[in-house]
Amino acid sequence: MNPALLRDDLAAGLLAAAVHVFFAVLLVVGVSWQIHNPQPVMADLWEALPPPPRPVPRAAPQPRPVPPPQAKPEPEPDTRAADIALERKKRAEQEKLKRQQAAEAEKKLREAKLKELAEAKRRADLQREEADLQRRMLEQSMAAESGQLRARAAAAQRASEVDKLVARYQDMISARIRGNTRLPDNLPGNPQVEFRLSVLPSGDIVRITLTKSSGNAAFDQAVLRGIEKSSPLPLPADRAAMEKFRDLDIKHKARE
Amino acid sequence: MEISQNLSLMHLILQASIPVKIVMGLLLLASFMSWWHIFIKMFSLKRAAQNTDSFEKEFWAGAEVNMLYQRVSQNREAAGELERIFEAGYSEFLKLRRQAGTSVNVTMDGARRAMRAAFQREMDGLEAHLSFLATVGSVSPYVGLFGTVWGIMLAFQNLASVAQATLAQVAPGIAEALIATAMGLFAAIPAVVAYNRYTSDVDRLSTRMETFMEEFSNILQRQAAKSAA
Repeated sequence: MNPALLRDDLAAGLLAAAVHVFFAVLLVVGVSWQIHNPQPVMADLWEALPPPPRPVPRAAPQPRPVPPPQAKPEPEPDTRAADIALERKKRAEQEKLKRQQAAEAEKKLREAKLKELAEAKRRADLQREEADLQRRMLEQSMAAESGQLRARAAAAQRASEVDKLVARYQDMISARIRGNTRLPDNLPGNPQVEFRLSVLPSGDIVRITLTKSSGNAAFDQAVLRGIEKSSPLPLPADRAAMEKFRDLDIKHKARE
Repeated sequence: MEISQNLSLMHLILQASIPVKIVMGLLLLASFMSWWHIFIKMFSLKRAAQNTDSFEKEFWAGAEVNMLYQRVSQNREAAGELERIFEAGYSEFLKLRRQAGTSVNVTMDGARRAMRAAFQREMDGLEAHLSFLATVGSVSPYVGLFGTVWGIMLAFQNLASVAQATLAQVAPGIAEALIATAMGLFAAIPAVVAYNRYTSDVDRLSTRMETFMEEFSNILQRQAAKSAA
């Protein structure tokens, strides 16, 4: 072969390789491939706020002052000239005056009594209010002191409730899987298989992985199908309890 | 099935299934070969054009035909296409003229046939491997498409065994499948461009050679008529 042609071939081969390397570098460097996985974000949703709202002490309504009764203007004595009539009238007038005085005295007495009563009532109200305020303040300080203790107690109680709930739903799930599993005929012994499930909050099963085989493939398959048929699983509505079901380990025995 | 996936190029290529990998390998090979031929043709066509230019210039500058013939026949390996045609025609012409009793027509026909044969040989050399470029240009998109279809089929098959279908489960499969199409196009586009370019170059060269053959035949005929007269 012509040496010039051979040189051409070699040069062409090198150039072709260079073109490919160039494009590969362009692809790898130039295009930003999606390499990083965005981490899932966890957010807690609280249905109720933990500290109970403090009662604001309300000012007790002030007792309304009783308006003092106005004295009635006294009627003018009638002076008409007539002896007997005058005499009689005088007497009558005196009597009337007396009566009036008596009535007035009585009225005054009643008024004083009323005033006294209102005063007493107001004083009693004030006292009661004060006592109330003191009691409330005491309660508040007590609550502040024992808040942590009570919260801890509440948390413990809640945890036990959650545990109970979880246990109940676990029973429900295993019963459901058992109901959906058709055991293969002539199953020897009582094999046990273990699966790990990834469960969505809706109860749908995303992933089923066999963590420990029973050694009997037919049984494993039967249980797997049973689990698939049981999707969506019954899940508790309680968030804390539901969290326990996100990654669920299931041990399934052929017979109880 | 893993949901979080790395979508880097190498990861996608390495994750691909065997048929898709084979398709990718084939396409890479085709691309490499086509680029190789592109460069070989580029060099050889450039040299052919240069040789033709210089020979035509020399010839029409009024060089002595006998001297040109001497030079070319002594150095046949380094001669260009047009020089070889010239050499073939003139040597046949000389041989036929040396034989006694051959008419001008017979001499001219022989010389023309010899030039035509040399022309065909040179054209064959110039056109070599152009068909390879045409093949790569037309077939590699289909090959890439095949790889893509296969990859997508597999992606959907994997999807069928999953209860909850999400985009994240299909996307990597489709991305890796689409790489095959990209590679097919990457191999095809330069091949098609080069094929079109080089065919037109070869056509122009062949036109020039044919023109030269006709003109040279005229010169030979004049010479033969002069010597016969």
